Amino acid sequence: MEIASGGVTNVGRVRTNNEDCFRIVEPMNLYVLSDGMGGEAHGEVASALAVETVVKHCQETENDPAMTIFGDMPAVWSEKTKRLSSAVHLANKSIYDSAQAHPDQRGMGATVTAAWIDGTRLSIAHVGDSRAYLLRSGTLQQLTSDHSLVAEQVRRGILTPAEAERSEMQSVLLRALGAHPEIEVDSEEHTLFGHDVLLLCSDGLTRMVTEPEIAGTLQAEPDPAKASERLVELANEQGGADNVTAVVVRIGGEAKGWFSWLRGGARKTAQKNGSAGGK
Amino acid sequence: MAKLTLMFEDKLVKEVPIGSRPVGIGRSPDNDLPVDNLAVSNYHARVYVEAGRLVVEDLDSLNGTFVNDLRVERATLHDGDSIWVGKHHIKVDASGDTTALGDTGKKGAVAPRINETMVLDTKARRDMLQQAAAMGERTQFAASRLKVPTLVVLSGKTDQKEYVLTNKLTVIGKSKMATVKLKGWFKPQLAAQVNQRDDGYYVGPGDKVPWVNGAPIAGPLRLNDGDMIEVCGLRMNFIFRE
Repeated sequence: MEIASGGVTNVGRVRTNNEDCFRIVEPMNLYVLSDGMGGEAHGEVASALAVETVVKHCQETENDPAMTIFGDMPAVWSEKTKRLSSAVHLANKSIYDSAQAHPDQRGMGATVTAAWIDGTRLSIAHVGDSRAYLLRSGTLQQLTSDHSLVAEQVRRGILTPAEAERSEMQSVLLRALGAHPEIEVDSEEHTLFGHDVLLLCSDGLTRMVTEPEIAGTLQAEPDPAKASERLVELANEQGGADNVTAVVVRIGGEAKGWFSWLRGGARKTAQKNGSAGGK
Repeated sequence: MAKLTLMFEDKLVKEVPIGSRPVGIGRSPDNDLPVDNLAVSNYHARVYVEAGRLVVEDLDSLNGTFVNDLRVERATLHDGDSIWVGKHHIKVDASGDTTALGDTGKKGAVAPRINETMVLDTKARRDMLQQAAAMGERTQFAASRLKVPTLVVLSGKTDQKEYVLTNKLTVIGKSKMATVKLKGWFKPQLAAQVNQRDDGYYVGPGDKVPWVNGAPIAGPLRLNDGDMIEVCGLRMNFIFRE
């Protein structure tokens, strides 16, 4: 399946520094997003460290599959899901160690939401209140749970989703990278279908822009880079209270049934015959 | 003094104050609020004060206890709530004794406004969740009983008869990667999908629009215990297993 991707991060309209960070590693189909927190410039340090550590570990494991896997995880998971989850454990340790070594960095932390696509398999690893969404058949489905106090209250039936959106405690996280030497990482695997659209975003997007608006934008704009720009614009038009980041990954159409198989076969034959022209 | 008033339609049947002892509700005449109706269990539910909150607890009744529209096993009650058992309802009047019930000054328990993102350590987290529970915004199901969301196949060809929903996203379709695998010719790869969100499980369209309780869904729809889902000749019940 063909994959196209694009991403944008923006400081927003209220803050003066951008503590969000993301990285797209196209050859690996690896996408990592992080939102940092902490005084001075330490939020930026934390999120950059999170993204760097995750990307570096995934790259290294491609060359050295024997590397240690961190954390407990189900044996049925694919190698990539285990690697991605390990990478998030390592990112936690990097930030924690850095904060221990530099007393001025105490209290810094970061969220991370990472996705790795291998064929039709999507691996997700996640800590914090950034999110991964999958737009499929026009429906926006949330692939991650926020590790925030209000989300936990919704899960326990103490708050309704609407009350959670109005809550003054939205920024209180129950889990983030860098707070403790050990961390629990949420990981999962999904199967991708043709025309799926994956979105990774920071809370600066989801607090400003509603899910129907996000779904509409992703459907209206086929180019992933433009779609992520448009989402960031929307967040800023509607207040831009926080840094805002969006990474959009669009999966191409898949061959379906005998009709497209025939067409695909015909196309291959044509290419073999050396006929000129575009695809 | 807080009190409970048993009503049948508009008629007042009985009124009892809430003291230190639990108020029993049920068909048996030795209840504090006896309810003469076959739909009501002998010892159906009880109401008591716990940690300054007024709590209703269902005693494993056959037909359930409802607070306003919501079926509950255990729930915090507020002034003006109605508890429904069978066709009777019980009005909750907590206005006279708000301090004891902790209904006033609940804002005082809330931490000051927080703009910057912060992480709670384990102790602070526990305290905060307890505080939040004490605020009693809308406490319902007892967390002690683990509920397992399950799709039970009633009719249609699938690879299993039951599916426990463990993932954020459950795919129903012919695809070999689908969780609920449909069998047969002309079935779509992706018929429908179920998304686990914070407030529950939502069924959404795939290549087909599923029906829930006899009507096609207009968009992602939150599933309730016992809902009937129909898609591509497959009929399933969504239930929470205890």
